[in-house]
Amino acid sequence: MTGMLQKMKNAVRSRSIHVAYVDTGSCNGCDIEVLACLSPRYDLEQYGIYVHNNPREADVLLVIGCCTPQWEDKLKSIWEKIPEPKVAIAIGNCPISGCVFNREGSYVNPPASKHIPIAASVPGCPPRPTEIIRAILSLAPTVFKDYEEKIR
Amino acid sequence: MKKTVDVAVPIGPVHPCWKEPIRIKCATKGEQVLSAEVELGYMKKGIERIMQGRPWQEVMFLAERVCGICSVVHNMVFIETMEAISGIEPAERAAFLRVIVNELDRMQSHLIANFSYCYTIEHETLGMYLLNEREHVMDLLERITGNRVNTAYMIPGGVRYDLRPDDADAVKATLDLLEKNITRYMGIFESGPMIALRSRGVGVLTKEDALRAHAVGPTARASGISVDLRSKHPTYRKLGFEPVVRTECDNYARIMVRFGELFQSIGLIRRALAMMPEGPVRGGGICKGGEVRYSGEAPRGELTYVVKADRYGRVEEIAIQTPSIMNIDACAHYMLKGALSIADVTATFISSDPCVACTER
Amino acid sequence: MGLSVIWYLKEFCRGKWIKTLLFAKTAPLVDPPYFRGYPTLTGKECTHCLSCMMICPTPGAIEVLREGEKWAPKIYPGHCIRCGFCVEACPEDVLDAGRVLETQHRDNTSLSVRYQVTVNPDTCVRCGNCVVACPVNKEADPQLGASGTSANDEVIMRIERGNLWVLHNEKCTGCKTCETVCPTGAIRIARVAEGRQGVEE
Repeated sequence: MTGMLQKMKNAVRSRSIHVAYVDTGSCNGCDIEVLACLSPRYDLEQYGIYVHNNPREADVLLVIGCCTPQWEDKLKSIWEKIPEPKVAIAIGNCPISGCVFNREGSYVNPPASKHIPIAASVPGCPPRPTEIIRAILSLAPTVFKDYEEKIR
Repeated sequence: MKKTVDVAVPIGPVHPCWKEPIRIKCATKGEQVLSAEVELGYMKKGIERIMQGRPWQEVMFLAERVCGICSVVHNMVFIETMEAISGIEPAERAAFLRVIVNELDRMQSHLIANFSYCYTIEHETLGMYLLNEREHVMDLLERITGNRVNTAYMIPGGVRYDLRPDDADAVKATLDLLEKNITRYMGIFESGPMIALRSRGVGVLTKEDALRAHAVGPTARASGISVDLRSKHPTYRKLGFEPVVRTECDNYARIMVRFGELFQSIGLIRRALAMMPEGPVRGGGICKGGEVRYSGEAPRGELTYVVKADRYGRVEEIAIQTPSIMNIDACAHYMLKGALSIADVTATFISSDPCVACTER
Repeated sequence: MGLSVIWYLKEFCRGKWIKTLLFAKTAPLVDPPYFRGYPTLTGKECTHCLSCMMICPTPGAIEVLREGEKWAPKIYPGHCIRCGFCVEACPEDVLDAGRVLETQHRDNTSLSVRYQVTVNPDTCVRCGNCVVACPVNKEADPQLGASGTSANDEVIMRIERGNLWVLHNEKCTGCKTCETVCPTGAIRIARVAEGRQGVEE
């Protein structure tokens, strides 16, 4: 019975994902490419993925932007507000390496994996909507698979 | 006996209507908003400091990434500043290609601004229609320049790539399709009664207040001030240009000014394609030293670059002034004073089209 | 136009609306061929001239590494901003991205860079670190003095009679090693780039 219950949980968790996105100081290019994913041409909601801003109801946190000094404590507190099971995905070059802003004399503090644990990242400046959707679709079945077995 | 409690309501930095982090603190009396205060500073990266000491081929990418929504115009104004310092003239064909790509970028920026507004007043259908039209414009940008956002198309002396004949045909066909569709959506916006309830008479910015607050761009043109820096640019003068002005001064007028500018851009691109001469697209030219202050018209208003370069073309001192800081100020101190309900605060703020990444670089 | 029921029924009975409702599909998840993606290798021989590294605007995006006997540039996707400048700057066409190389051959455009050594005489302490660190100097004169003096006239710069003299500006390759070892930041290399069309190489 446990195997069957875990299979049902896997099936449900891979088809209905709530995403909260947070912008920690970016140029907005990745922001509007995520919005373009929601447009009727590359419809993201047909896969069951619902994008909003509320960390309390989210499964996945989308991190965009190189972390500016104001966001370091706030990013951690948003991450702690999300209930388990949870995962963080970084979109764009900024949370991976800081893109062109990573020079001496700037205020940014990349990478974002210093502040919260990042499970996957989509590189590009900005990544095309097709690249974002391909990455999310390949992650959706595996990211929460057998979650209860893994944490036991 | 009911008592109204006066609360200071914070909106943001993480909010469903905001795409970027900004905090607005409203002092309220019951449901009515007395005054609003805007807190910035969540996106400061120090771009102007990184730009010091670098040549144009590195500063160009930093200037583009000041704002991803209006990235082409930052590229264009920076390159035109460097050309003004060194006395370089762009090639003839390149000047028209620059105008075409600039107007395509303006169209996608206005479409996303109007989508934001329709999404904020919960009219998702019209918002999604507009977002779908934007995809056609992004396709055109990708065909001409190779990338959808952050195109890096313009360099001192001209542009990087030439326009192929089949791309020019695709541009003309898409513009016809866009004109037909946007006329229909503008009709839906004009005649919708629920949209009128939340837009007409809401967030009024009178002409005297707009002059006092130094509002720029479509926010000022919706209050009757006829100022547009494109009428001073030599290539736009050849194409014939008149600013789009409205006098109602409310949310509805600002959105209609953007719709009007969409049709104006379609006309400008058609005339530029017809008038474009044959020839090279890169004129060459080495960047030299000097100091110049140059302004251009971004989709949100007036954009100014003050650049001082040393003998070999490296940027020594640079200052950027973006349009959104003045519009946000006009919004917070004049439009939101005495707003009748807290629900109007988000709609009014989004109708003045803030771009917070531009405001704090 | 109006709010009548007949008008609504007529709108929903349009053939185009019914077809879209039942058979519409979203776009396929492929990138079009004219999209300027990450640069890929074309297979031509790389001569280790490092022009791609000198023109790249992002720190840590491209490096020219050695695999066995051959050199090849390597792109790091987490850093590269897909601008296409390295594709245009390479004289041997080793890299390609989207339609950039095809357009470059068709339009006969090029991106050329010249390097200029600039020294600020007020902050230079004449320590000679830059002379010793420069890789072109090391190749030109194997017997370079430890404080930057040199008897050879083929070096780019040298310390002589208490001052730093720049002899051969045109030999500079723009690697900026001298900038990293200068204690006061007095020496700086200017990478003067120009995009031209229609010149023979």
